[in-house]
Amino acid sequence: MSDVLARAPQSRRAAAAGRRPAPTASGARRATAIAPYLLVLPVIATMVIALGYPLVRQFVMSFQKYGLEQQFGKAPEWIGLDNYKAIFADPAVWAVITRSLLFCVAAAGLTMVVGMAVAVLMTKLVRWLRVVVQSVLLIAWAMPVIASMTIWQWLFDTNYGVINWLLVKIGLDQFKGHSWLIEPVSFLTIAVIVVVWMSVPFVAFSLNAALTQVSGEQLEAAELDGANAWERFLHIKLPTIMPVVMVVSLLQVIWDLRVFAQIYYLQQAGGVASETNLLGTYIYNLGLGQGDFGKAAAVAIFMLALTLGLTFFYVRKLAKEV
Amino acid sequence: MKIHKIAALGAVAALALTACSTDGGSSDKPTTAAPKPTAPASERSITFWVAGTDTNDDMRKWLADTFKEKTGGATLKIEQIEWSELVPRLQTALPNAEQTPDLVEIGNTQAPTFTSVGAFSDLTALLPDLGGDKVGPKSFVEAGSYDGKLYAVPYYWGSRYVFYNTEVFEKEGVKVPTTLAELNEAAKKLTTDDRSGLWLPGQDWRNGLFWLFANGGEIAKVDGGKWVGALSSPESQKALAQVQDIFTNGTHAPKDGLDEEPWVPFNEGDSAMFVAPGWARWSVKEDVKFAPFAVPGVEAGTYAAGLAGGSNLAISAKSANQDLATELLKIIYSEEFQTQLAKNGMGPAVSEFNSLMGDDAFAKAAIASAENSKLTPGSPGWASVEAAKLMEETFGKIAAGGDIVAIAKDADARLGEMLN
Repeated sequence: MSDVLARAPQSRRAAAAGRRPAPTASGARRATAIAPYLLVLPVIATMVIALGYPLVRQFVMSFQKYGLEQQFGKAPEWIGLDNYKAIFADPAVWAVITRSLLFCVAAAGLTMVVGMAVAVLMTKLVRWLRVVVQSVLLIAWAMPVIASMTIWQWLFDTNYGVINWLLVKIGLDQFKGHSWLIEPVSFLTIAVIVVVWMSVPFVAFSLNAALTQVSGEQLEAAELDGANAWERFLHIKLPTIMPVVMVVSLLQVIWDLRVFAQIYYLQQAGGVASETNLLGTYIYNLGLGQGDFGKAAAVAIFMLALTLGLTFFYVRKLAKEV
Repeated sequence: MKIHKIAALGAVAALALTACSTDGGSSDKPTTAAPKPTAPASERSITFWVAGTDTNDDMRKWLADTFKEKTGGATLKIEQIEWSELVPRLQTALPNAEQTPDLVEIGNTQAPTFTSVGAFSDLTALLPDLGGDKVGPKSFVEAGSYDGKLYAVPYYWGSRYVFYNTEVFEKEGVKVPTTLAELNEAAKKLTTDDRSGLWLPGQDWRNGLFWLFANGGEIAKVDGGKWVGALSSPESQKALAQVQDIFTNGTHAPKDGLDEEPWVPFNEGDSAMFVAPGWARWSVKEDVKFAPFAVPGVEAGTYAAGLAGGSNLAISAKSANQDLATELLKIIYSEEFQTQLAKNGMGPAVSEFNSLMGDDAFAKAAIASAENSKLTPGSPGWASVEAAKLMEETFGKIAAGGDIVAIAKDADARLGEMLN
């Protein structure tokens, strides 16, 4: 066993070295040096127009007193850091930030664990069963958010929901007319379940694709050396697919931090908005709902910084690995 | 390794994309320029935003046809916006001359948010053409006015009243309540393990206001030039205690439920009464025997003041088609269209057509209820209160059995912040 432990990283290095691209002739590289930039130009131009403008505008707005009057033509007033001071002095904002971070960790973590389990499961299934599982995953993934949210809300409906009905049927009478959304913790737990349900297919497909690329010879060698299934997973499969795991979990963190539609929809169905707001719905209510665009922009800029902060190490590590 | 590179690039791009997608004050990009008002009528078109489905398909078609005829060929585009999206959509579309709808329907309580910032054209001079003194209800005209000028005129009004199951009332020996106290008793008496006496979801503050207004309470009032929350007043407290009693002993409706589709439990036999705008009658199943009554007041023979439901109409100040939008407004105020409103159970904006709503029990309940109706505080900040769901939360906490003194104190403080 110790032999396997010692050998695994080594073989990974060997594998990585083997896949390094062969050096190109330096002359040819210089001649085509401009081509890649030309090719990437349309993408950059689109990004600057579609994202740069709103981002700059939002950044500027976060230093202004910008409300509905300004939206209808009154000149905005520069107020320096007042928006930021106001939001950071507000305990409600800190509650929203804490809630969002906890939600993000719970949802992204759970999605990765379940997604990995499903991905591994798919590698063990016989062909027809695998196709069935893949189809089901694909349907769940392709379902429009609002359509599936309607179903989820019906499931958990206070008076006519299937969940309450089932719980009462098995003798848990306290669930008759139980309101799942009224307590913030129970509200967010349902939101986590919904978000995980929607995210697992993507993770499962990506990780499954990566797992099929793990070298069979290595696994066979490890097996001969006496490594059991769990050890083979931990020391060979997982390190090999690590880059994909990193990218996928990075995306999950971003997506779960900016979750909006699911929370917004559940808030329309019940619950207490001020106790269940995450960053997305909070910014929406503050800006578009209450017309305080300046403060909403400040929170959005903070959210951008938070996302960058959370993912900085990820991105740096990724950049090093490729 | 290429795959990894692309994946990494994708991740970075996604990061950039998502990080800025929560733009607080989005500004819509200009699309094609509207034709100049000098263009021939047949080449011109205007857009009318209606909220929800209350303006039905027949009415929409009639409006478009009549508009084409009256203007010599101009096109009317009617776009439906959902109520929950209306305020955000108006905030981004109205300031932009290229994007703005020309005529908009807006909830009566939402109007003050926009009249005070110059979003709408001044309609003061047009009022005599529309019907002058007969245009109403007066509270709607007030809601559409700012600084002595009229910016949003009434579109239609609806009144809320109680629908009750006549068979259940008969079987249980309950008479139609003539005072608010009798209604409270009836709700409790008719409640069993499987049935709600009165369907009153916890966050349904719009219907909860009947109790508040009937007892002489207010949401907020102006004191020394400033809005002050009034839920802590003795009158309001008395009302909130009654509402809490119904939430606890007179209904099984969810404590965090809203006023959506209250006829569903009624149709299922799960509730004996519900409160809703008049048009809810078309949603009750045919085999349920039911009748209406207006929410009674504290004294016998009086009615409780309720929240008037309904909409106003306004012309966007940025619209390049002021003339055509005005023409459409006149068509809406014509006898033919007002008749259609009344026949469809919506209170017409010109009072002389009220009688067209009929003289059955439903029309009587509607008119009795409308005469007493009130509006929410006429402050530009009211839309913030609605957006923040302050009233929903306040009533929801009362429904959940919270301490009404503390809840009212907290709500009053937040009302004061948002309304001024």
